[in-house]
Amino acid sequence: MTTTMTGVSFRPGELEVRPDGTGNLLGSRCRSCGAHFFPIREACAGCLSQDLETVKFSTEGVLYTHTIVRQSTPQFETPYALGYVDFPEGVRIMGQLSSIEFDNIEVGMPMELSLEPFGTDDEGNELTGYRFRPAEETS
Amino acid sequence: MTKVHVVGVGMTRFGKHPDSDSTDLGAAAFLEAIQDAGIDPRVIESAYVGHVFQGMVTGQRILAQVGLAGLPLANVENACSSGATAIREASLAIRAGENDVVVAIGTEHLTSKFSGALTPDPSDPEAAVGATMPGVYAMRATRYMNDFGMTREQLALIPVKNKANAARNPLAHFRKEITVEDVLQSRPIADPLRLHDCSPVTDGAAAVILMNDKAAKKYANGRGVRLAASTLRSGSVDVEPTTMTFEPLTWATAQEAYEKAGIGPDEVDFAEVHDCFSIAEVLRVEGLGLFESGSYPWAVERGEADINGRLPINPSGGLLGKGHPLGGTGVAQVVELVRQLRGEAGDRQIEGAKVGLAHCRGGKAVGIEGAACTVQILMR
Repeated sequence: MTTTMTGVSFRPGELEVRPDGTGNLLGSRCRSCGAHFFPIREACAGCLSQDLETVKFSTEGVLYTHTIVRQSTPQFETPYALGYVDFPEGVRIMGQLSSIEFDNIEVGMPMELSLEPFGTDDEGNELTGYRFRPAEETS
Repeated sequence: MTKVHVVGVGMTRFGKHPDSDSTDLGAAAFLEAIQDAGIDPRVIESAYVGHVFQGMVTGQRILAQVGLAGLPLANVENACSSGATAIREASLAIRAGENDVVVAIGTEHLTSKFSGALTPDPSDPEAAVGATMPGVYAMRATRYMNDFGMTREQLALIPVKNKANAARNPLAHFRKEITVEDVLQSRPIADPLRLHDCSPVTDGAAAVILMNDKAAKKYANGRGVRLAASTLRSGSVDVEPTTMTFEPLTWATAQEAYEKAGIGPDEVDFAEVHDCFSIAEVLRVEGLGLFESGSYPWAVERGEADINGRLPINPSGGLLGKGHPLGGTGVAQVVELVRQLRGEAGDRQIEGAKVGLAHCRGGKAVGIEGAACTVQILMR
């Protein structure tokens, strides 16, 4: 399940946040060869076709690797967990990891998209971004 | 087509230079290269100057400083490969027959521009979620440890080796040897990487003067070293996720360089590689085909990469020990290759070295493995 979180996406070109509080990461699918890309591209790197469609990626994937960032820019409060998640469409996307103790993070864990507060815009309005959290157990 | 020869080299001390700027440093390295080449500076026909954060027309400022304003000049930015890219552009001007003598300079006064962890450009989707360069390399280290069983102690042997080499290099940022314990006790930056696993914020510059056959015959006096290959590639978009424990970009750039130089990786006697982080050295030398994938940490343990080892890696101290003034780095690597191949490397001299390789990789953008990668092969 994805957390419901209304509001304005921190980067609408990459994260769609819908009025019902659900959302997806966005990318491109090549109509010619079927390859997927994150973020949205103008042409396919596999076959150079420009016939691409914007698609919503699955919300569950597998953690490829991770770190705990302890020194960053002033924009981000440290420490925070960061990882790459592989999605079934064949894309690997970076995001912070949430809802897990640092010591319990492991390569290969099932993860899911989590919409969460993610900074503010120039006028101070809260923005919605994404993190990845351990996927809930399914049968 | 003419061959390309490195005839003059110069390099400032790498470290913190609070009383100078990137123009002063670039000019000092350039003047030393002119002196080393033993030429009248008026024979230089064009210039390429690599830097990242030094602002507009830094190259023109350097030339004005040394009385050579007026030459055709291009400032070159390719992240941490900026200086190496300047060398490649200079070599192309010679190979194209446009110039006989060209200077390539790399400079950076990083301490005045920047502190802390380097990040991708803020516009990048990964920067927007908190990517830092140490974080990206830390994730590669996590996966390498997971896939190959490398231990944290093994990884620490790389900064220990490179800082021991730097201690023998009078121009290096760090002149003190460290132990594995020092690495493991240093401040955590991005797990599993600690402070000693990361290259420092360094000021410095380096310059090389390249010549064609005709000019080298006239000026080199037997001190020229042949630039047998200078290749540049950009990272390609992954059509599907690949392993982060091997570098196809480094591999492709190196394969092209080996082909151009007419050698195989087994003929390389030593290498300066882009060890911006300890784990980066592992990925570089394996991507270059100098060591088998998944084997380098064990080779380091056996001393194979030491100055007196089978295949010395980063005898100058590398980025970890000598320092990493972004634009200066790629040019300084070639300065080290030339000094080693001429037998002028003092306490860190590799005996009998005839073929040296320099490798740079810079930049990060979403969806591509790396941004700019260069390989230079120099032969005596």
